[in-house]
Order: sequence, then C-alpha cells, then structure tokens
Amino acid sequence: MKTGIKIALSLAMLSSLSFGGEQFAMSDADRAMYAEMLENNPADLMVANGEDLLAEYCGGDEGLAKFLKVSEDDLPAYIAGFPRYLPEFKQVVGLDQVLQGLMHKNGHKVFKLKSSDMFDMSAYAKSLANDEKSNIDINANKQMKAAYALGKQTYMTARGGRGLSCNSCHSEDIVGRVLRTQPLPDLGKNGVAVAATWPAYRMTKSSLRTLQRRFQGCMKNALLKVIPIGSPEMVALEVYLTSEAKGTPIAVPGLKR
Amino acid sequence: MKRRDFFKKLGVAAAVAATVTPTMSFAKSKPVSKNHITIAASIDAVTGGKKPKTSSKVKLKVPEIAENGAVVPVTVTVDSPMTDSDYVKAIHIFASKNSNARAIDVNLTPANGKAMFSTRIKLGGTQEVVALVALSNGEFLIASQSVKVTIGGCG
Amino acid sequence: MDKRKSLIKIKPKKFKNGEVVKVSFMVMHPMATGMSKDKKTKKIIPAKYINSVKFVYNGQEITNMTVWATLSTNPVFTTYMKINGKGKLTVTYTDNTGEVHEKTKKIKPKG
Repeated sequence: MKTGIKIALSLAMLSSLSFGGEQFAMSDADRAMYAEMLENNPADLMVANGEDLLAEYCGGDEGLAKFLKVSEDDLPAYIAGFPRYLPEFKQVVGLDQVLQGLMHKNGHKVFKLKSSDMFDMSAYAKSLANDEKSNIDINANKQMKAAYALGKQTYMTARGGRGLSCNSCHSEDIVGRVLRTQPLPDLGKNGVAVAATWPAYRMTKSSLRTLQRRFQGCMKNALLKVIPIGSPEMVALEVYLTSEAKGTPIAVPGLKR
Repeated sequence: MKRRDFFKKLGVAAAVAATVTPTMSFAKSKPVSKNHITIAASIDAVTGGKKPKTSSKVKLKVPEIAENGAVVPVTVTVDSPMTDSDYVKAIHIFASKNSNARAIDVNLTPANGKAMFSTRIKLGGTQEVVALVALSNGEFLIASQSVKVTIGGCG
Repeated sequence: MDKRKSLIKIKPKKFKNGEVVKVSFMVMHPMATGMSKDKKTKKIIPAKYINSVKFVYNGQEITNMTVWATLSTNPVFTTYMKINGKGKLTVTYTDNTGEVHEKTKKIKPKG
C-alpha cells in the first residue's frame, strides 16, 4: 500500500510540472549578463586559495603530478579524465580523494571531503585541466565499468519519501519543464554538461561547491536520504555524469544559481 | 519546505507572468512599503531636493528576471567625455524595497576615462534598481529598472 | 592588515599609455547585513560589511566609494581607468568593524 502511495505521489508531481519553460527560461539579454559575471567569478578567489593550499600541503602542481605518476605537461589531460580507478587507492576515486591521499602521504592531517578547504583545493587542481576535453574512460578497466554501472543504477533508483530518482527530474523527456520556478536542466553534454562546469560558485550559497556536494543538496530537497561525499555511490554518480559530459571542454570554476 | 507548499508552488509557477516595465513612477505612486519613502528621501538627500532628469545617456543594466536575490549583477554606464570640464562626478545605486535602499555611491574623476560602474547586489524581492548620476555641471540624471527576483529551485 | 583573498584584474591584460582599461577589485568578504540569523545557532549574524573603497593610481586617488551591506557577499567593484604611466594601483577598503585591507597591482603599459 505504501509503495502504491509513493508512486502515485511522484506521478502527481510529474503531471503537475508546468511546461511554462518560456516564462522562466532566461532571456538572451539576461543570459548575457550572467555570462559576463564569469569574468569576475567570486570563485576565482577560492581557486586562488586552493592554489595556496595545494602548494602548502601537496607540493603544488609538481607534487600532484609526481603523486599521479605523470609529467607536469601531461597533468592537465590526466586530470580531465577523473574520476579514475587508481590501484594505490584500490577503488575509483575523485580528485578530492586523491588530494586526501597526497596530504596524508606528506604527513598532514587531511581535509575533510566536505570542507571548504577541500572544495577550494580540488577546484584549483581541476582548473589545471581547463580547456582540456573531459576524457573519462569508463571502459578503462573492470572497476571503471562497475562504477559506471553503479552510477547509472543510482541515478535511476527511485527512493525516499516521494519515490523519486535523479531521473525523475533530469531525464530527457523532463528537461525544460519548470519545477519551483526553475526549468530543469539537461545535465549532459547537450545541456549544462555539469561535470565540466563543476566545481562552481553557487550564488544562492555564496560559496564554491563541488558536484558531489550539489548532489547532496538536490537529494535533500527531493527528500532522498543524503549519500556521503566520496562514498562508492557518489563517486559512481560522478563517473556516470562525467561520462554524459564527455568531450566537453572543462571550464572551472563555473557560476550557478 | 513543507510538502503542501511544494505542491502549491508548482501551480503558481505556471500562473505567474514575467512582464517587466521600466518605470520611473515610484516617486509618484502610492507608498507600497515603509521603505518606499526611504528611497525618495535618499534620492532627495543626494540631489539636495533637485529633480533628477531621465536621460538616454544613462544605461542601467540589470536582469529582467534575477535567478536568485543574493547575487544580482548591476552595471551603470553614462555617456560622458570624462574631461576636466565635463565628467560624471558620482554614480549612486539604490534598491527601492530593500530595508536599506542604498547600495553604493561611486565617486569618479576624469582619471577614470569612462563613466561606468559594475557590481553585484542583494535584492530581498522583486523591486526597482535605481541609478542616480551626478554630473560635474551640477545636473542629476536618473534611470530605473524593475527586477523580478525568483526564489525557487531545488536546493 | 588582514589576510583576505583579493584580486585586482585589468582587462585587457596588455595595454598602452593613454588607453582606458577596465579594472576590477574582488575580495572574499561576508558583506553581512546584520539582519540574518545563523541557521544552526539561530543567533543574529553581526553586521560586517565593507563601507568604503579607494582606488589610488600612482599616488592619485581616482575613485572612492561609500558602500552599504546591500552588495553581495564576496563583492566586486568594477570601473575604468585611464593608463597614465608606469607605476602601481592600490585598492584599499575599510569595513564597519574597522578592518582595513590593501591590495596593490603593478601597472606596466607597453608602449
């Protein structure tokens, strides 16, 4: 009986989504204004802070390249392929987890994954890959294949008080519909290509946030139990969405509502 | 947000019209909030009671619909030679319905070369953003634009 | 002098004498109005906002501003300036709690 109600509720919500996309879609003039703000993205300051942190705790770009066993020249393209399966970590990891490993190796107390210091530092590390095309390889090895499958499954699994999955609001057929005055975006390469534009400055939070952190905010609002950052499911979700944005040039920090 | 409110807002989303009218009438229309008097008084305080003129020389750029109220871009540009004898002395920016209507006073000099100022402001809700410009000849120019502030989205 | 992260940006990056360039000053500052509550403690977050900014180019004050808490957190101040020789641009601000911050950028016109 409970499941029946859950499904009925989600159907009711979906059918009451308005198609008033035009009213709430941004006008070209407004879009240009928000795009211009990227020139002075407040997140540039956080990325500058991240650069200092990387230098202090990880040996800077050089230290990171050495840890990842690539040359500094190859570092940008290598970073553009994250999340990756790294044998030393025995799991698929995001850049933030790599930085934790490097901090630990250098004898420092690691930043928590959900801390602004970690957001800043991983944003700087990812910015080294700016203009590189996102090149994640979900077929690189069995661990990446498994992560992609887990990510897709997590994306499609309905759960929580309203029986919603990520796909309930972000599937291709729903894209453009208005929910809470905002048109729902296409998260893949035809739309926002989230994986290429996060970490980003969130205007409503006046702070720099990573993609997994954003997933948490979204889950909370959709009444789904929030999954911890860095957990296999969260990394898998990032793998899945990064694959959806594959080929898009990386442009961080982004600027989001 | 409570579940009831969530479903209510879905209905509202479709019904709200996003029309915007640039308006200079705030000075003449009935006060809509306590602050309505504050902005007219603030402007008077700056001009010393002098009536500012609307002019196509002042370009006020704000979004018609602001995605959020915390970070609203504002740019004011004034067509002026910025010479020692003819320049923009100051650009004042106001937010008509914020508890504090004043945002910033920017005092320029000919050394700026161009009369322009841009920043980001907080808007507590839909309201007018006003740019008041003081010229070196003692004249005041004014421009105003309504900004619709949407408070929505998930998370 | 505090240690806040700030940036001065000039656009275009390469410029000649006499050119009028866009200059922006950005800083990580809360710009707290004193009217909102901390979500966790439920206490009012005290007002802390930049209240004045000065742009000084080669010893000459070219712009000064009176600022209120209406500006967004992590504010930006963008205007123009006419390049008039090699030297430096110093941006200084004070906030309502007495904090003072200074950032300098070298100005090197090419030609």
